[in-house]
Amino acid sequence: MQGRRNFLKLSAGAAVGSLAATLPGTVQAKTCNEINWDENADVIVIGSGFAGLSAAVNAKRQGLGSVLVLEKMQVIGGNSAINGGWLAIPKNPIQLAQGVNDDSPEELVKDQIISGRGMQNEPALRQIAERSLDAYDLCIDTGVKFRKGFNIQVGGHNKARAIRTQHGTGGDITTKLYETGVKEGVDHRLQHYVEDFIMDGQKIVGVKVRKNYRFPDLTTGSSIFIKANKAVILANGGFARNMALREAVDPSLDPTLDCTNALGATGEVTLTAMAYGALPVHMNLIQTGHWGSPDEGGFGWSNALLSIGWHQGVAISVLNGKRFMDERADRKTCSEAIMKNRNPDGSPAYPVVFFNYNNYAKDDRVVRALRDEMAWKVDSLDEIAAKFDIPAAELKRSITEYNKHVKDRKDPLFNRKMDTAEELTGPFVVSRIWPKVHYCMGGLKTDLGARVIDARSMAPIKNLYAIGEATGGIHGEARLSSTSCLECLVMGIVVSETIKADAQGAA
Amino acid sequence: MNKLLLSVLLSLSVSGSVMAGDLIKMKGKTEGRVNHEFIYQDGCQTCHQGSGKKNTTDAACVECHGDINSIPVDESKLAIPEAHPHKSLHYNQGASCLACHAEHEKKAPVCTECHRTWFEEM
Repeated sequence: MQGRRNFLKLSAGAAVGSLAATLPGTVQAKTCNEINWDENADVIVIGSGFAGLSAAVNAKRQGLGSVLVLEKMQVIGGNSAINGGWLAIPKNPIQLAQGVNDDSPEELVKDQIISGRGMQNEPALRQIAERSLDAYDLCIDTGVKFRKGFNIQVGGHNKARAIRTQHGTGGDITTKLYETGVKEGVDHRLQHYVEDFIMDGQKIVGVKVRKNYRFPDLTTGSSIFIKANKAVILANGGFARNMALREAVDPSLDPTLDCTNALGATGEVTLTAMAYGALPVHMNLIQTGHWGSPDEGGFGWSNALLSIGWHQGVAISVLNGKRFMDERADRKTCSEAIMKNRNPDGSPAYPVVFFNYNNYAKDDRVVRALRDEMAWKVDSLDEIAAKFDIPAAELKRSITEYNKHVKDRKDPLFNRKMDTAEELTGPFVVSRIWPKVHYCMGGLKTDLGARVIDARSMAPIKNLYAIGEATGGIHGEARLSSTSCLECLVMGIVVSETIKADAQGAA
Repeated sequence: MNKLLLSVLLSLSVSGSVMAGDLIKMKGKTEGRVNHEFIYQDGCQTCHQGSGKKNTTDAACVECHGDINSIPVDESKLAIPEAHPHKSLHYNQGASCLACHAEHEKKAPVCTECHRTWFEEM
């Protein structure tokens, strides 16, 4: 399609010098340049996770015109498609049916303030919490199914308010939002990598896109220019998979730490926005889970398996056959203790966690872990020692000692609360552990309407919006589980309303 | 085109040891799937619109094979019933053919990024 020609002053160049060197065909600094637009859309959404897909459907429903979703990967859904499908909704129907009548949006915000440790954006959290039923309705309306009667209390929440999708994956939501979008006229494109923004002063007017891109090879595909008539929404997610950026903002994150995220969580669109003046905040606040396993990809089964292991089992260093931490301590404490387990060359000496098989043989958490070979059934301590190269005598001594502590209900070594501990007799379920990087609290600063804030003027960059994990400063020091999906879905609604209001104001 | 595909598959099934989908040498160093041998006789343009250097798109696959919904998968070979790659709980219809399939080289399907034991390289 031959787009119409625009005469523009381009502000690409100096600010993105280093980026330009690495990206093929980046728009060069020129005082004037004619952009030959290949396509145009009223609203361009970058990214196809919860946030992007919610924004796309809601932009369409707000009557904003044509909506184009650009996804760089070969699948729709971003990291949301592989997330665990947990969604915190105060006053959700399942919660009310359970007789939990004392929850409210404000109760959720209270929990998030504690978890945010003073760094959170309280008005933003309040706006999201107050519209959580809108997010729930969006799910139900697009055909998302939740587990019947299932609503539980998850970490850091003071009420049972977390519901879960039917199959326990965010894919249950992204597939429905995608299919609804298709039905309602949203245009979705895979393998469209945004390599640059086209600015007209302090306003975004379009994007330069590498079409037919094959992640992660930046020489693949070819560049096109797409004009954005009303808005560009950045919903490109976090950057936990961008090792260089991760290390730059938080050197304490060891390169041996794998990541729970989809491979595309590399954050280059966030960096492009920064190059055009967008203010980044809290970039060094990156959440790590101590419950990862090196023997599976993504988030995996390990977290659920270890919900048994931390309580009814024991964590052992393969280096000396000894316990090395309070297995029930918090994420940070455990992560640090686990990561001290190193071979002489500095490589990870993955510790093992094990518990009695017989009591949990039919537990789904065990069945799937054994089936997918991220955990193993091992009959004796000698066999564990042989399989994982642990000094056998030390291991046996440690377990004899541990079993005495279980009997005494006292852990003199690490002061672990022993009320749930079981004497270890075997056969055992054994898995290996190593922390994984999980979520970026930091990202682009936005106002309550999702407008991206320019660092120089502290005012919004015109027509540029950001939602979801691409944004920063909402959750503060630590995000509570089941609140990211909520944030993404709600902010997809909010941004569509903002764009409508801004477009009317501009007209 | 579908009829052609069927006849190719039938002739393959009686010709012995080579399985549909196996990689064989096609042209020079370029390898391809044995069941696509007939396509190579027409050059690269059946799949690579414009030039062999341009990446192909799903359109080339769909023209002969139909879309993801219409391509059967042998369900007896799945690790678990939910592991159906053409009815993925994570992506369903939102997956490109290219996320799992490659023509000129072996490729690990996108699912193996997490589910390491469920699928083989193809």
